[in-house]
Amino acid sequence: MFEPGDETVERLIQHLRRPVAMDAGLDARVMREIAQASSPRRRVWPLPWSVAAAAAVLGAVLVARPWARNATSRADTLQFVLIAPQAASVSLVGDFNDWDPARSPMQTAHGIWATALRLAPGRYRYAFLVNGVEWRADPGAPAAKDDEFGTPSSVVTVGGRGS
Amino acid sequence: MIIAALLLVTQVVAQDPRLERLDPDTRSAVAAVADSANGVGLPVEPIIQRALEGATKGASGARIVAAVRRLAVDLGTARLTLGTSASAPELEAAVAALRAGATPQVLAHLRDVRRPPLTMALSVLADLVASGVPADSAGAAVLALAPQARDADLVDFRRAVERDIALGAPPGAATSVRLNAGALDVSSGSPYSGNPARPRRP
Repeated sequence: MFEPGDETVERLIQHLRRPVAMDAGLDARVMREIAQASSPRRRVWPLPWSVAAAAAVLGAVLVARPWARNATSRADTLQFVLIAPQAASVSLVGDFNDWDPARSPMQTAHGIWATALRLAPGRYRYAFLVNGVEWRADPGAPAAKDDEFGTPSSVVTVGGRGS
Repeated sequence: MIIAALLLVTQVVAQDPRLERLDPDTRSAVAAVADSANGVGLPVEPIIQRALEGATKGASGARIVAAVRRLAVDLGTARLTLGTSASAPELEAAVAALRAGATPQVLAHLRDVRRPPLTMALSVLADLVASGVPADSAGAAVLALAPQARDADLVDFRRAVERDIALGAPPGAATSVRLNAGALDVSSGSPYSGNPARPRRP
């Protein structure tokens, strides 16, 4: 699986899109072969092969389930960052870790606290818990305006379709 | 058989070890709300997460129960609007959009013009309104972008509008300006999409 915008994938795509040098006589040889071909014959597959091919196509469709509404496999890795030079500890808590401060402690470097999480598609509410007592919203994310518990929270959405 | 199944679900929710963080009365009330939601096919996990949020934030039991009851009702409204095939993330995002002030008509229209999942489109709609964009302007903008824009385009659009608002632009004007600018080139994947490094920020 790759993410849109991945540099390695982009380089690979650019490489594959480069024109391929062709033998100058190729066209002539192809046209000659076509001209010498016998009258067209319709190729008929034996019935068992036709049935097997149809079954394979049906099986692939059933496995892929292109009509399914949920794209749960499209997880996304997100980096959460809080600048808090004075903090002794910062935890990331939210819908993705049962609001348990012990589950996602953040690491710091010079007061910049960070952690990365891989999230399945969905809309998540979250907040930073500083020093175990102070709730802070993420200044780099939309605010949760329907906070019913009197402390700030933020929201992040993983869309599941090129998000 | 149906009653037995419902009783089993009731026990499963009531015995969810995560709810042990709630006091017994609150736990019982939250489990009852979750059971009712489950009984009509609504997702239970958002209700449990809202209760856990309240517990971690030190909210009173009454406040937690009120929050989960309200959420269950709103999830039901969202499903009425989007239909029974809507996924749990879509319903959660629809609740946020409805609470922000989007009308059920806008959500239903969005369902008609955009291929699922609708989670990101609904979230962007909610977030735009939360940023101060009038609900009708936000709805019109998302509906205009919805048929062709990728999820990433919608996020970039929201960020652009929020940036303009932070710089002092009136929210409604910022939305229309960004929408008109993007309408020139949205079919080519630009102008909202960039080439973000991974992992991305919220």
